[in-house]
Amino acid sequence: MLRKRNTRRSEGMQILRQTNMEALEKARTLGSDEVLTLLEKKGLEGRGGAAYPTAKKWRNSRDTPADERFIVCNADEGEPGTFKDKLIIRHNAETMIEGMLIAAYVVGAKKCFIYLRGEYEYLRPRLQEQVDSVLAKAKMDGVEIEIVRGAGAYVCGEATALLQSIQGFRGTSMYKPPNPTTCGLWGKPTVINNVETLTCVAQAVLFDDWNPSLRLLSLSGNIKNPGVYEFPLGVKMSTVIDVARPEKKLKAMSFGCFGGIMPVDENMAITPEAICMEQCQHGAYSIIFMDETVNVVDISYSIAKFYTYESCGKCTPCREGTIRILNLLKKIRNGKGVKKDLQTLQELATHIQETALCGLGQSCGNHVLTSIKHFPQDYDYYLKKGAKT
Amino acid sequence: MARAKKESKILMNILHEAQEKHGYLSEHMLKQISIDHDIPIARLYGVVKFYTMFHTEPQGKYVIEICGSPSCVLADGTALEKFLESELQVKIGGTTQDQMFSLYKTSCIGCCDEAPALLLNGEAHTKLTVERLRALLNRLKEAHAEKKKHQKK
Repeated sequence: MLRKRNTRRSEGMQILRQTNMEALEKARTLGSDEVLTLLEKKGLEGRGGAAYPTAKKWRNSRDTPADERFIVCNADEGEPGTFKDKLIIRHNAETMIEGMLIAAYVVGAKKCFIYLRGEYEYLRPRLQEQVDSVLAKAKMDGVEIEIVRGAGAYVCGEATALLQSIQGFRGTSMYKPPNPTTCGLWGKPTVINNVETLTCVAQAVLFDDWNPSLRLLSLSGNIKNPGVYEFPLGVKMSTVIDVARPEKKLKAMSFGCFGGIMPVDENMAITPEAICMEQCQHGAYSIIFMDETVNVVDISYSIAKFYTYESCGKCTPCREGTIRILNLLKKIRNGKGVKKDLQTLQELATHIQETALCGLGQSCGNHVLTSIKHFPQDYDYYLKKGAKT
Repeated sequence: MARAKKESKILMNILHEAQEKHGYLSEHMLKQISIDHDIPIARLYGVVKFYTMFHTEPQGKYVIEICGSPSCVLADGTALEKFLESELQVKIGGTTQDQMFSLYKTSCIGCCDEAPALLLNGEAHTKLTVERLRALLNRLKEAHAEKKKHQKK
């Protein structure tokens, strides 16, 4: 079954089904334990990329002794190529807020935060109205929701950096453990869930026919029909391409900036395992398509620029390594590269992956490793160009 | 339903609100925030300098943030960047002499399905071409000139 819609024609998607405060009411009737069992039974996993079971996270937080707990909705959707949370905030924010209140009820939190990325500032006034109206309808004693405005740091999408930012510090990542679930905001247990996850929470609680295998795919790049689509996990790549409608033959696809670049194989089923087989990571399922006219090294270079710009600077491998990767790619693109540079790039990327502190650093070499593995001819093009001149 | 708006204790929100008043965070304002909220000034500067959307220098009337994501690059977003730099006679990160425009590059603004895109004073402008961008700049300049004329009268 295929459900597809882009941002302008978005009816019919499961993620946009509204729960109209009934999910919260049902959750309160069921009680905290029952809700957790229900979410476990429905198989709800975090949609931010790590696929951690939501019920497990909530239970960990609820069962940690503390006098105060927090819920954070991570709306700092910064991954290039991803825009699914924007769709949800625009068209179904009430359900997301209801999901937050269910989390607050189950975990026993009084204070909730929505960390909204600075680039989505234009969505904030309406979101604030919706927060106020849902809170008024919910009549939950003492529960507050505050929108925290991000200010353009990609790394704040990472859980520990996000918490630092809410607490009024630079948004740099922290060592784990302690895990935010048990020791987060101001040292208290904090549940951090993504926009899509919280929306799914309300829907999973209320609807008996809620389908856990549907995922939102953000498609963009060299295609005629970019947008957010809903597909079941395991969908054939050819089906996705039919919807995306490329003008020319597709050559490569990049999973956001962090997931790596791999060839487009029409017969591939989109599952985390299949993507992992190509040394890539699915993350939030954002796919940037590139057609045959594109040299993958150029895209790799723009991704390297992104990482250099967004590295928070806390750990040396990432702070220095991203700059070295960028400089090497620049050298290769300028026709001054030699074969040995590819080896250096691979060594460097692997080294950063192994030693960086957070997810940003650990993934900043993915695009280099995968593009060298899958598209050596594109690197050869630049190396040979250099050799001629 | 109508509830009194409580003042936020979250530093990010405090800084955003302060910046909205004057377009940037002056030394005076930061000192005041430091006193009001009991935050050491050094830490405050550390925070402000970390986030690209906070500015400690006066900004242009119009702040343009061009998206540099791969999706925008694939849709020839680099051409827009070059056009803006040459048209406004300012490099990325700078402000025009007449204080009209500040130009920045940002990682991704989440408009990949409508690339290439940019933010103009926080509002997204999408599916841009050099022609459309030229028209947009002209409209802004005209509106500004009109306003100035009005003020002189």
